[in-house]
Amino acid sequence: MENLAENKVAYADLEPATDTHNDNHFYLNMGPQHPSTHGVLRVLLEMDGEYVVDPQPVLGYGHRMQEKMAEHKNWMAFMPNTGRMDYAAALQYNHGYVALFERLCGIEVPSRAEYIRVITSELNRIVSHHLWIGAMLLDMGAFTPILYTFDDREQVLDILEDVTGSRLTYCYFRVGGVCKDIDDKFVEKTRAFIKRQRERFAIYNDLVTNNIIFIKRTEGVGVISPDMARRYGVTGPVLRGSGIAYDVRKNEPYSVYPNFDFEIPVGQNGDSYDRYNVRLLEIEQSLRIIEQALDQLPDGPFLGKVPKKLKMPTGDCSFTVEAARGELTYYLVSGGGDIPYRLKIRVPSYSNLSVLSELCQGMLLSDLVAAMGSLDLVIPEIDR
Amino acid sequence: MHPATEKLISALQDSSIQVEACDYQERGYHFEINLKADKLRSLAECMLAQEMFLVFVGGLHVKPAIEIIYQFASFERACRLFVRVPVDADGAMPTISDIYQGANWHERETRDFYGVNFTGHPNLVPLILAEEDIDLKPLLKKAENLLESAAVRRVKVEEHSEEEKAEQS
Amino acid sequence: MGDQERGKLNVHSYSAELQARLEKGEPGDLVVHDPGPLFKHKLADDIFNLCRANSLWPMTFGLACCAIEMMSLGMARFDISRFGSEVFRPSPRQSDLMIVAGTVNKKMASAVMTLYDQMPSPKWVIAMGNCAISGGPFAVEENYNVIEGVDKLIPVDVYVPGCPPRPEGLLEGILKLQEKISGVRHPFPQRKISDAPSY
Repeated sequence: MENLAENKVAYADLEPATDTHNDNHFYLNMGPQHPSTHGVLRVLLEMDGEYVVDPQPVLGYGHRMQEKMAEHKNWMAFMPNTGRMDYAAALQYNHGYVALFERLCGIEVPSRAEYIRVITSELNRIVSHHLWIGAMLLDMGAFTPILYTFDDREQVLDILEDVTGSRLTYCYFRVGGVCKDIDDKFVEKTRAFIKRQRERFAIYNDLVTNNIIFIKRTEGVGVISPDMARRYGVTGPVLRGSGIAYDVRKNEPYSVYPNFDFEIPVGQNGDSYDRYNVRLLEIEQSLRIIEQALDQLPDGPFLGKVPKKLKMPTGDCSFTVEAARGELTYYLVSGGGDIPYRLKIRVPSYSNLSVLSELCQGMLLSDLVAAMGSLDLVIPEIDR
Repeated sequence: MHPATEKLISALQDSSIQVEACDYQERGYHFEINLKADKLRSLAECMLAQEMFLVFVGGLHVKPAIEIIYQFASFERACRLFVRVPVDADGAMPTISDIYQGANWHERETRDFYGVNFTGHPNLVPLILAEEDIDLKPLLKKAENLLESAAVRRVKVEEHSEEEKAEQS
Repeated sequence: MGDQERGKLNVHSYSAELQARLEKGEPGDLVVHDPGPLFKHKLADDIFNLCRANSLWPMTFGLACCAIEMMSLGMARFDISRFGSEVFRPSPRQSDLMIVAGTVNKKMASAVMTLYDQMPSPKWVIAMGNCAISGGPFAVEENYNVIEGVDKLIPVDVYVPGCPPRPEGLLEGILKLQEKISGVRHPFPQRKISDAPSY
């Protein structure tokens, strides 16, 4: 390490990493209110004409003190917060949280509950990817695809609303299972949805995947090499687009995922087009998982025997799930009692966004929009 | 054990870092390392050379010193390591953001929440808190809630089952 | 935009000013007040209010989870454009309705107030979701960052509760706002279903 910079503590002195002060450069503020739907992200762009010299994301506009609240709330009272961190894929956040306590306290989950969890989590993954496709294309200026994706989303939200009660920020899982059972109507509607969705892929392929404008805007844009992904801790479809087949469901399997046969789609080049393709193929793989889970769905209780007053033993525990955006890790430190001592939540979008400054130096501004859109960010989960 | 994992463990032991194996079903990670701050950078270099990625860097406020917690994992196989490093007497910790660039933001956030100074960090400005909250350090615990470092660690299996028997009876 | 020193964009800290004012006991009223039109004529006002109510253009101000429900409202199933809000304008200069959808925290407060000031009069604000109304699930004792209700910063016309409110709930809020502007609830061409008062 040479030239260790002194620690700068004043926010107003936030200086970009470049050290050439060029009179032709100007600073453009992208956000925190801007017409893309990632949330409240501000990117401070040092621009040279249309080229971005140095993008610096500025976070904190959505900070809602989740980790602090976890230290003051009963472990069960914190459940709604987990749904509000990543609201697009809330059930996976629920899953990680309840499975953490199950691992810590050694609670058995009945088999039916595990299958219900997998089915609803995968439905939520489909919903999240649909939202992402629509939002990314809306950022790039295309209005039609978002109408189709939101229509598909509404089909799933109807199914999930019947059983969970909410459309968006779910709080459906409980320690030991789920809070309400699924019935035959759910199974029937889900099967109908799977059939419908498989027919919709033709629309998406025609409209988006094979669209020359979309290909030209995303091919070769924002290439993340495997080495860069490793140094930044990038996970999820962003990593799989770069060729590394890392999926927590296969690597460190949890719940009943070992019972299913599914593939991990992987891209070759690591550009935005590959990341789009990976997510589209993941929707198909999620449909496969749901189909197999519905076929294998056992009878039984949907909530296991859990003591009314759950006392956590002292110690620490970690649980990792594959959220829609990447690897989500909960790390809990408990000093006994029923309020966690420390809950550290490692969200996938955090590491995925940190590559932005290295990834987008020297790009055109419109390419930066495409590359940032392909990272699939949800800012309130980054700010927690 | 996977041969690459054995290679990792022996590389760590070559740098005289003690690695404890843990029960994954109980803890969620495979290995645990308790470290002093001076060995941290060689650990990070070893991890990068063995193709591990950094999952997170966080803080944990215990007595006598704040502990910085790191978790590393592997893309290719199931191998998750957990590292605990207490800060120096003056609340400083060496940075690993030149080895793992992802640690850059994690360390800024830890500084925001705990006030830990990461020496050598290129840009240690607030990441998540507002500029006027720079000294707020929200996740530091009040004295009455603060626990000892040993009080939040797992007890050994034999003692644990004795406690359970005592509770049940 | 004036000179920008390298790396220093001078942003006035509204949150610091707000804190100072709240400590003194003053209302958190930091925005410029609209003095109203110069020329008042009842028939013209009625016609203009009718037109304004039926063509409210919202500004995209989705901050958190409620933003997704707001987007769903703009999409094919719930379709806000049949009520006049055909376009969601990203620029505050071209919009007259600000739907604050999500949590406002200290860092975001100055942006909220700047955007409100930049909107031309007449303008309206809908506080959507529990966070915008009162801080929502984040208004806890150890709160250090979340502004408990956007009405501490800007004047709000309609409050839509929910966490998040359904798109139909937000639609009801917009219809209430139309009633507030024009005096009649959805005046044209829908007929009243019953004689019950529409409040």
